[in-house]
Amino acid sequence: MSEDLDNTLRKALRRVDPGEDFTARVLARVAAEARSESSGDMRSANRSVSRLVWLPVALAASLVLAVVVTYEWQARRERAGLEARDQVIEALRVTSEKLDLAYQIVNSPPPSRTPDDAGA
Amino acid sequence: MPDDSFASARAGKPAGFAALVRLHQSLVYGIALRMLMDRALAEDLSQEVFLQLHQNIRAIESHEHLAFWLRRVTAHRAIDRLRQNRRIETIALEDDAEIFAATPDDDPLLRKHLHGLILQLAPVARAVVLLRYQEDLDPVEIARTLEIPVNTVKSHLKRSLSALREKLSGVACVSL
Repeated sequence: MSEDLDNTLRKALRRVDPGEDFTARVLARVAAEARSESSGDMRSANRSVSRLVWLPVALAASLVLAVVVTYEWQARRERAGLEARDQVIEALRVTSEKLDLAYQIVNSPPPSRTPDDAGA
Repeated sequence: MPDDSFASARAGKPAGFAALVRLHQSLVYGIALRMLMDRALAEDLSQEVFLQLHQNIRAIESHEHLAFWLRRVTAHRAIDRLRQNRRIETIALEDDAEIFAATPDDDPLLRKHLHGLILQLAPVARAVVLLRYQEDLDPVEIARTLEIPVNTVKSHLKRSLSALREKLSGVACVSL
């Protein structure tokens, strides 16, 4: 019974032919796929050419931008340094004035005694 | 000549590839049709398999390798398609003469039960039955093709045949 069933199944499940035109349809699809890939390749090639043209332009622009930014940064640092120097000079001047005043106070003769203060 | 067409196809010649398609189209379409139970889907899947073959022909080493490759790719694609779309419209029972080849002693009840059995089987189990009876592969070859354990193959075969025998014996009892 088992062998009969096996044989029956083999007969019932023989390979099925898709028809005479199947091969032609497959070849048409292969050709369509090849055309689609080649137009994709052309678009990709055009993109590569665009990249080759625009890349040096982009690099040059980046370089200019970097130079400008660096210059501006250095200028700001310089200005900040000058401001700090001015502040220090002002602080020293004020300190110096105060020191002069203190020196004068310290070195000035003491006030003289009046006749009322002596021999009382 | 199969060897000539194989070499010719590998060399990129359309005539060689066309000959390979003609040689193997019934293998591919048969699996696709019985897996998907829909002619249009089976046609589409079969074309995709040969398109993939065209793109990978140089990786195929021999005729045996080609047959193995075609079975494996067709079965896997069909299993994936079934898993993605569980509501594929199945072919009507009365139109299934093509799917279950008519034999000289054609038994319409057998065809009916076979049709029902195939529809009930999960995708992998369905592929196992087809590779066994359409392609006449043994369990080890089926396991290699589907990349599943041999014991799983044997289990699927046993359950499928048991289910079919049960249906057929039930019919036999009724007819008596």
